[in-house]
Amino acid sequence: MSELRFDDVTVRYGHLTAVDRVSLTVPAGQVVGLVGESGSGKSTLARAAVGLAPVSGGRILLDGRPVPTRGRRRPLQMVFQDPYSSLDPRMSIGESVAEALPPGRSRDERRAEVYRLLELVHLDPGKAAVRPALLSGGQRQRVALARALAGDPQVVIADEITSALDVSIQGAVLNLVRELQRELGLSLLFISHNLAVVRYVASHVAVMRGGVIVEEGPTDRVLADPGHDYTRELLAAVPGSTPSSRPRRTP
Amino acid sequence: MIRRWRSVLRTPLGIAATALTVAVLVLAVVAPILWTDDANAVDTGNILAGPSGDHWAGTDNLGRDILFRTLVATRLSVELALAATAIAVVAGLVLGTAGFVLGRRPGRLVSAAINIAVAFPGILLALFFAVVFGVGATGAVLAIGFAGAPAFGRLTQTLVAGIESRDFISAARIAGVGRLRILVRHVLPNISEPLVVNATIGAGGALLSFAGLSFLGLGVQQPRYDWGRLLFDGISSIYVNPASALAPGAAVLIAGLAFNLFGESVAKGLGVGVVGGIPALPPVVPTLVTDEPLIEESHQAGTDLVLDVRDLEVTFPGARGPIRPVRGVSFAVRRGEAVGVVGESGSGKSLTALAVSRLVGEPGRVDASRLDLLGTDLRARDSRAQRQLLGTSLAMVFQDPMTSFNPTRRMGGQLAEVARHHQGLERRSALARAVDRLRSVRISEPERRARQYPHEFSGGMRQRAMIGMGLMGNPALIIADEPTTALDVTVQLQVLDLLQAIREADGVALVLISHDVTVVGEVCDRVLVMYAGRIVEDLPAAALSGEALHPYTRALVAAVPDMDTDLDQPLAVIPGRPVDPADVPPGCAYAARCPLASERCRVEDPALVPAGPGHRVACWHAGEPIDIEIADREEVRVP
Ligand SMILES: Nc1ncnc2c1ncn2[C@@H]1O[C@H](COP(=O)(O)OP(=O)(O)OP(=O)(O)O)[C@@H](O)[C@H]1O
Ligand code: SF4
Ligand SMILES: [Mg+2]
Repeated sequence: MSELRFDDVTVRYGHLTAVDRVSLTVPAGQVVGLVGESGSGKSTLARAAVGLAPVSGGRILLDGRPVPTRGRRRPLQMVFQDPYSSLDPRMSIGESVAEALPPGRSRDERRAEVYRLLELVHLDPGKAAVRPALLSGGQRQRVALARALAGDPQVVIADEITSALDVSIQGAVLNLVRELQRELGLSLLFISHNLAVVRYVASHVAVMRGGVIVEEGPTDRVLADPGHDYTRELLAAVPGSTPSSRPRRTP
Repeated sequence: MIRRWRSVLRTPLGIAATALTVAVLVLAVVAPILWTDDANAVDTGNILAGPSGDHWAGTDNLGRDILFRTLVATRLSVELALAATAIAVVAGLVLGTAGFVLGRRPGRLVSAAINIAVAFPGILLALFFAVVFGVGATGAVLAIGFAGAPAFGRLTQTLVAGIESRDFISAARIAGVGRLRILVRHVLPNISEPLVVNATIGAGGALLSFAGLSFLGLGVQQPRYDWGRLLFDGISSIYVNPASALAPGAAVLIAGLAFNLFGESVAKGLGVGVVGGIPALPPVVPTLVTDEPLIEESHQAGTDLVLDVRDLEVTFPGARGPIRPVRGVSFAVRRGEAVGVVGESGSGKSLTALAVSRLVGEPGRVDASRLDLLGTDLRARDSRAQRQLLGTSLAMVFQDPMTSFNPTRRMGGQLAEVARHHQGLERRSALARAVDRLRSVRISEPERRARQYPHEFSGGMRQRAMIGMGLMGNPALIIADEPTTALDVTVQLQVLDLLQAIREADGVALVLISHDVTVVGEVCDRVLVMYAGRIVEDLPAAALSGEALHPYTRALVAAVPDMDTDLDQPLAVIPGRPVDPADVPPGCAYAARCPLASERCRVEDPALVPAGPGHRVACWHAGEPIDIEIADREEVRVP
């Protein structure tokens, strides 16, 4: 179990302050949802954690120590939003997943592990030799997910990973996310614009806008009793949130 | 890959350039073996002779045969050119990737150095190096090689920058893969094609530069000879025997041209994408025409049909025979109606939309027994009238509007172009209409916005502008393929509202493709559920929750979390995987994942049949109760 903590983090690109003194904690073994409009700095915050964005102020800590951004062992993994750009078009999907496996295993073990991971994300392991070009967007995202899990991470940052997924796999992925969180004690920062999805996965939610976190708290409290106007606006925009237009489904 | 290279061979220029290049290379290998003795044979009785039967291009000042010497010189000339190119490429790669390997700051230094070097004229650099390395073949190779390096460095740098920003590079870095390894495994393979192409063109250039250096006396020295050397020697006797200079000159020209053209045609061939080289498709079997009374009815209803599609099939050639991702889709859209299309990824939603708008490119193939837009048969050959109809009556909105706009042109101009092209409006009124359309899609200050570039629009604005572009004509149908998937919820709501408003105001029909049942259920009147390239259910949107009959539709609906999903239960998931279009099972394609599947399902494919008013379903056990336990049976395994 590991705790990921953003401590007064600022990220600047030139004059633009993309993330402005954000403090946020993902407690060990918990799922924290991060919602907000695009350009609000969600992805930048995530990228800063894995060393892809320059941190110009504050600290990002994993169990109280700086997140390692060098070396083969990377306890913090990230899954990207765009499945079209997150897989190397020249590499088979099996190779992409294998690349992220921790070193020091036999060839056969690696292959078995790749197969297991592909199976885990509902892909035919027989397709391991296939290039991403032959997969649809949803299938690619599953590969990306398998790759992140391959690194045997303690904390995973999922950046809008379901926004490009099918509903059927989305459900399975969300179930998987919850299972992993419970059984592996995986800590997760789950970035999404879909409040219904965040509600389902995350025990805590933070709402971001313009580089700052405008509201934060237990998910049920924030959704039931939003304290910030922007949170209210988000809630109103959820499809199906206008009861008149859509009959409630019976379970 | 091979297919793409092969496509190079399909243009006449490509064939000619390839043949020429191969000929030069073959000559380089065989000429010295065959003719070295002839080329060195001294015939003192026949010095500086003009062309004759014995010596087709005459002889030089020692009476040696010019033609043979020119042929034999091919090897040295080509070798030197290739060696110089290799140096240029390797040095260029080192320079161009230094920034990537070393990191930001040293990278900037390197790139500044490259910029300065590129600014120097190549020949000047070559002369400089020739002085440094000494006069002779080695010096010349190094000189030309290093003179070419900055240009390659710049090219590499640009290409690397394009790849570097992609997420797969980030993903590899996060996985702890070292920079050098990323360079070798991810970056280089992805930039190899343009590099190879440019190296080929570069080889042609090097050949010419060599001839130049040798001609100036700075290259190959006696007794060795390349074309430049021969040219140098030949010029001195040009008044006695013009052929002595013309033969090596022509050789340089032909070989240089061969490499250049070959490189150019490869570039062109690779640039156009994945076309060509695919064996012709076997004729597609006549489509099965099932009885679909509902569609039949709507045919009678006649004039209010905007889109009428029957037995639509889309086929691609595959490694093991044709693949058919869309397998007989029939539906109709009435005026002002909003039809949603849902289904898993790969179910053929996008291809159906592309087929309707005639955007399925080579080598794809579209068949249908009917494909009518506003009563016009779209299956007819591409014609001006048809493009006009598609251009003005049908609007397509794609998921990523950024790729649909030209980033280098102003928004207003791009919208106006549609009107100029399809409606023949002149510039000013087209621009006025563009501004008006931008206003109609609720873009504030449309006059100012029209002068902006696509990147100055936010994602939601671009999407609205895209819709505005579709509205430049007077569309009767808008096909929107995942128009809001890339957008924020709040923006998504705006875009959906906008589509709704357009529909209500102008009676425009809407086909909304989405994998999100919630969105479709909210916006549309009717929903088509696709599975494995077929429509498996066609039902009123209001019936989605509760009255859906097909087990797949029911599972889809149950799989989406909403704001009152029970948090203690796992979400319903659909076990198994979607069907691979290359491998569609007999019987019902859903059988392997279906909790109701029976023996019959596995052998007999159910047809789409009416199941109540405005409701069609393709299932042998439609509406039978599903044990919820079974629907949830797929346990997600944990490592
Ligand atoms: N150019 C092509 N060549 C070969 N197969 C293709 C081509 N384009 C699409 N396909 C295949 O056709 C099937 C259907 O693709 P399509 O894009 O219509 O799916 P979709 O339902 O829109 O999926 P998504 O929800 O992921 O967008 C997929 O299996 C895909 O791999
Ligand atoms: S036909 Fe059979 S297998 Fe297919 S969906 Fe219906 S019950 Fe399931
Ligand atoms: Mg699609």
